[in-house]
Amino acid sequence: MHKSRSIRLLVFIVIALAAFFLSNVVDELRVFQGASLSVYIVAIASIVLLTGYSGQISLGHGALMAIGGYSAVLAHNHWKVSIPISFAIAIVSTAFFGSILGWAAARLKGPYLAGTTLALAVGLPSLANQFSVLGGEQGLAFDVGAPPKSLGSDFTQYKWYFWICALAALIIVWITQNILTSRYGRQWRAMRSAPISASLSGIHIGRSKVLAFTISSGIAGLAGAMLVMTLNLVTPSAFPLSLSFAIVTGAVLAGVTNLGGGVIGALVLVAIPDIADLLAGKMGGAEKISANLPGFITSLILIVTVLLLPNGPKLSKLVSHKTK
Amino acid sequence: MRLFSTLLIGLSSGAIYSLMALALVLVWRSTRVVNFAQAGQAIASTYIGYLVISRTDNYWLALPVALVAGALIGALVDVALIRTLNKRVKSGPAAEMAPVIVTLGLLGLIRSTVGMIWGGDLKAYKAPVTNHGFTFGTTTIPFSPYNLLIVITAVIVMAVFSIIFQKTNLGLSLRAAAFQPEIARLAGVRVDLVRTIGWAFAGGAGAVAGVLVTPSNSLSPNSLDLLLVLGFVGAVIGGLESLLGAAIGGVVLGIGLAFILEYVSTSLAFPSAFIVLILVLLIKPSGILGKKGGRGA
Repeated sequence: MHKSRSIRLLVFIVIALAAFFLSNVVDELRVFQGASLSVYIVAIASIVLLTGYSGQISLGHGALMAIGGYSAVLAHNHWKVSIPISFAIAIVSTAFFGSILGWAAARLKGPYLAGTTLALAVGLPSLANQFSVLGGEQGLAFDVGAPPKSLGSDFTQYKWYFWICALAALIIVWITQNILTSRYGRQWRAMRSAPISASLSGIHIGRSKVLAFTISSGIAGLAGAMLVMTLNLVTPSAFPLSLSFAIVTGAVLAGVTNLGGGVIGALVLVAIPDIADLLAGKMGGAEKISANLPGFITSLILIVTVLLLPNGPKLSKLVSHKTK
Repeated sequence: MRLFSTLLIGLSSGAIYSLMALALVLVWRSTRVVNFAQAGQAIASTYIGYLVISRTDNYWLALPVALVAGALIGALVDVALIRTLNKRVKSGPAAEMAPVIVTLGLLGLIRSTVGMIWGGDLKAYKAPVTNHGFTFGTTTIPFSPYNLLIVITAVIVMAVFSIIFQKTNLGLSLRAAAFQPEIARLAGVRVDLVRTIGWAFAGGAGAVAGVLVTPSNSLSPNSLDLLLVLGFVGAVIGGLESLLGAAIGGVVLGIGLAFILEYVSTSLAFPSAFIVLILVLLIKPSGILGKKGGRGA
């Protein structure tokens, strides 16, 4: 265990160094995509923890990201706190909201939970339009400031975003991985695959589910804060239903139980707009094609993955473990 | 007067929620899937209705065309996607989750396809009768001839459904296939075919809901998302198992929301619907008409 943990730490450091060097050689667009990639990785990690481990489904994580995004911006603009503090506030406030939601969610089964969280994803972002403190349709500006002077004069804004996002993503994936291999991760897995045996062996199912929902919400809140930072502002339209769909797709692509697979899911999500642009260009480049092709491809990938690899490569291993 | 007209407005919007709830319940009963793609199927059918209206300027032609289109789309979804899914995903942890994710993917697929064909800008068409409220003496109430038309159309659709379900052999097969598929199959019911018919009925109901609601809003690839959510809330109020429950649940929700909009605040409509949803699920998960244990998936 300890050995594998130190190997993992080494891998993280290597990835961090690689990301650092890459950000210096690739062009601005790729650097920005790197920031988006980090946002998706964090968002997908929240779904992997919730769905892959605790077995609860959520179609409403886009709404939780909205809560995180708005919290971070409000904290930053009103209290003038630094970026790490505003991110921490986003995590805490979304986790708090998630604990209330999770209390209700722990009592709901599959399709009911899916419908309830879908309702949240449809309704919550538009609610922001109705409160003037949230800036309505125009939203609120989020200016984290220029990169520190010490990084040199040619250090661009996007690179600064990328550094912040990549660092946050590395830390969160590291923490999540540790949670998932801890006592709690094992409890969630047991609860997911055999709820009755799990409660017989002393796992408090309800409490365990609420805990998973709370942690997952906190992570989603951070993803939301990172997303609005890269966008420079927070608006209700930054959190469309398709965002919730996209992160579920990213998680499902890797079989929902694998954080490393989540990185591949995130890569696919970041690549989809580029691929769609390419295809749309070949199809005549009409605005209505290029605006809808990314959603089309994402949905298609989602359906095909579930039909072809319903349990994902990892998940089936998990099940055979259980039955042995 | 204000009370009475709020009640009527609630009845009219509730009638539309009922149709959507009915569509969800029909599929849930026959296939054990909450069909999130229903909003997509309905939006595609509504765009087809819009196409008919913009060509012929005839609402009365568009409504049946959309209904048939909706039914065909519903049947197609079942045959092409849900049957395949049921064949491929039989057990394992994904079995419970797979239908949810597939219908969600289908919703995205249909929405973006509609967007690619008709674009994302808002479309609109006029109601066949006026949208201005009835006038009694000097006072005009918000309830309009069009609202009345909505209620009548919804009542007709539901009456036809209940006759089919209660009085015909097809209805008996539909109910048998939903409750005891194995025994129904033994008794000679072609369960797969009957299920597909259930999906077709649901698609038709959703299409009517979409065509009816659009003159009061506008039409865009995602304009029915909220209707899907409200239909789901209505269906849950009614217990998700019962067609009558869905009809009542939709109307109860419509009237409740109308009163909140009128007397409390316009910004509270969605949060109240959400709170109602959570409360019903926590306190009486089997719904107002459901039997005990109705929640089990």
